[in-house]
Amino acid sequence: MRVTFPFCKISVSASKQNIPQLYRFCFLMLGDARKAQDVFHATLREAAARAAQGELPDERFWLFRDARWRCLEASETDLQAEPVGLDEHDIGPEAPSQIEQLDPTQLAIWISCAPDPQRTALALFYLDEFDYREILNLTELKLGELSRLLELGRRQFQAWLYAMLPQKPNLNV
Amino acid sequence: MKTPRLSRRRRDLLNCAPTSEERVRDRPMRAVIFRAGKSSEFVNQQNFDRAVAELVRAIPIPPETAEWFSTDLISPSKWTWKKTVRNPAVLAIGLALIVIVGVLVFQFVARLNDFPGSATARKLLAIAGSTRSVLLDPVNADAGTLSDLFFMKHGLEHYDVPPEFADFRTIGCRVFDDDESRRIAQIWVAEKRMQFFLFPAERDVKTGAVLKFPGWRYVHQENWIGAVTQHNGVCFMAALRGREKDLTPYIPKTKQ
Repeated sequence: MRVTFPFCKISVSASKQNIPQLYRFCFLMLGDARKAQDVFHATLREAAARAAQGELPDERFWLFRDARWRCLEASETDLQAEPVGLDEHDIGPEAPSQIEQLDPTQLAIWISCAPDPQRTALALFYLDEFDYREILNLTELKLGELSRLLELGRRQFQAWLYAMLPQKPNLNV
Repeated sequence: MKTPRLSRRRRDLLNCAPTSEERVRDRPMRAVIFRAGKSSEFVNQQNFDRAVAELVRAIPIPPETAEWFSTDLISPSKWTWKKTVRNPAVLAIGLALIVIVGVLVFQFVARLNDFPGSATARKLLAIAGSTRSVLLDPVNADAGTLSDLFFMKHGLEHYDVPPEFADFRTIGCRVFDDDESRRIAQIWVAEKRMQFFLFPAERDVKTGAVLKFPGWRYVHQENWIGAVTQHNGVCFMAALRGREKDLTPYIPKTKQ
């Protein structure tokens, strides 16, 4: 499907609102390319309509904030996994090589299954687009909460890597 | 190398440490990375984060999504007059300027017909509007004859009614001081319930010379119209409730 928005010009206040990163953010939040595109287009369509009326909020990260709520709304209708305590594991030195073996979709699915606000925190953090203060602003979290969510996410993801990939953890390290 | 003992806040900062230098924008974060940067735990965390971020960068962008990335779509919206005018601040400033200009124009137009003594004449028109005939001493005579009365009774020289109004029959008259202690003579005549005022002409503050003006001049105040002329340092004003056309028939055509 080709979606066109002739003559729409969206005022993007800064490079902070990086459009390709916005799509990646939607993808990480939803773990599904089709849904990510829908949310991405809906967000930009809304922005274009507001821009045409001169009502685009002069707020930093408006696109990401809007996309976040759309993603959460979209995933509300999905089947929800029962909340279970995931295994955790210390980050090992072999983690980078394990991650290299993954497909981006696997990562996106893993992140999209996390409960919010952990899901948003991980998605924004790994976009490598924002510093921690900007993420705090976007997620409305406190530093301690963000720290805890990221640390937990790393440990859970490491445990999942060990479980998913044939390589065993090097227990001597 | 083990991670040095860190306070809770620093530990929190370390957990949020970005993988790229350019995202380290504040001093506390830089300090904590400098302190714990070489610990194996932090190195593992950074390597882990970099690998995940690299994987995120590898997320493919669908072609139909990529069209949004063209510069046309994300370029800043064009400046337009319409947009600027709709801006509430611009709108407010514009309205304020219009009001200011309107007031200035109104004052300018009002001053166009000003002449020496016009301010006093306007005040006297207000007095004319509020005067009741019982306040005046009843006098039944020709208006022209009152000059002698004003001179003899009140010592007012040259308080003469011009010849064009001299034959009007009077109902009453009085002499009073205005708020600047000037002696004002007021005459009420039967003709169209017209009132005459005689008052000292305006003088130059420095030289004391009378500020003259030729012929007749009109002033308006609260539905009252007055025609003012000056002679021998005294102004005469014929006033009535109405418009200029009501007074024009009484004024000689040489008026200016």
